[in-house]
Amino acid sequence: MSNAPASTESALTPAVKAMIGVAAEKVEASFDWGIEREGLRIFTQAIMDPDPRYWDDAFAKATKFGGIITPPIYCTYIGRRQRPGADDPVTRAFKENPNSDGIGGVRTGEGKGSLPLVPTPLKRILNAGNEIELRQYPKLGDRIFSQAKYADIKERVQKDGSRMLVVTTETIYTNQNDEVLCILRASQIRR
Amino acid sequence: MTTAQELREKKQTYWDDVSVGHQFAPLIIGPMTPTHLFRWSAAIENWHRIHYDQSFAIYHEGLPNILGQGSWKQSILPRYLKDLCLPDGWPWKVSFQHRAMIVPGDTITVWGAVTKKYEEEGLGFLDLDVGMRLQYDAESCPGRATIVLPIRGGKPIPYPFVPPKKLAN
Repeated sequence: MSNAPASTESALTPAVKAMIGVAAEKVEASFDWGIEREGLRIFTQAIMDPDPRYWDDAFAKATKFGGIITPPIYCTYIGRRQRPGADDPVTRAFKENPNSDGIGGVRTGEGKGSLPLVPTPLKRILNAGNEIELRQYPKLGDRIFSQAKYADIKERVQKDGSRMLVVTTETIYTNQNDEVLCILRASQIRR
Repeated sequence: MTTAQELREKKQTYWDDVSVGHQFAPLIIGPMTPTHLFRWSAAIENWHRIHYDQSFAIYHEGLPNILGQGSWKQSILPRYLKDLCLPDGWPWKVSFQHRAMIVPGDTITVWGAVTKKYEEEGLGFLDLDVGMRLQYDAESCPGRATIVLPIRGGKPIPYPFVPPKKLAN
């Protein structure tokens, strides 16, 4: 069942429109020591990519990249890791709820770098697709920064006349020299 | 599956040698196992139990089995495009949607086919249909991509890559 307003009532209210262009704080996604070999080894083995550009210094140095690089979108994952010294979110989640799905209470949810919520009664969220644009591969030692913004919000009218929103966020990943590495655009349907 | 040696010795595919309709060599992955899925969850610290806890996935969430992660698929397509472009091309962008679920036992064929060929600011662009097809012909990750391949005798593809103004978002 849709939570959408009646067909005559736009879901794209002035308050929702005002979110377009709103940006979150720019935050560092990497740890203080930047991109390191062991994390890179674990990641590349999990995507089954044996490319020597990720681990063979002599070979990598001779490529156009001039040294060890990471897989194209590695930088979009490193911000998900648990920071050393933080309370263990897994233990906390299952202490609070023995049937935790592993997501609900596990995320640290510090809110740093997060976008404010879109003010809409449309609560159901579906993934409408992603786009990844690559500009440069991260390198060993790089510090990675990310900044998200609401790039676009459009309204769609469904067959039953109810309204839904297509919310597109754009997250730009940069290195310590403020060079763009990768842009991730993710669209969600709110209905 | 591609080997390290094949990637080390990868010969450049040139823009001149590819036509609309060309199908690039696929990348076959699998059969997937629960261990593959668990390894990805651990690598990115995604503790959602539907990806590694079979009892939870089936009896609590009503799923057919533990599920392959969308984030893993999202990493495989750029990896495939990277391999196509090596050593001097650029896998500029890819967009996709998540469709058929991946479960243990599935074998995945990552594929790409050229739909458009054009030149801009002296660089050779190819638009592709891409996807991750399962062994029973269901499409798990349909999408589109744009890659840049060197033109014989043409200028080098800039790195870091800067898209031509006409094509930039």
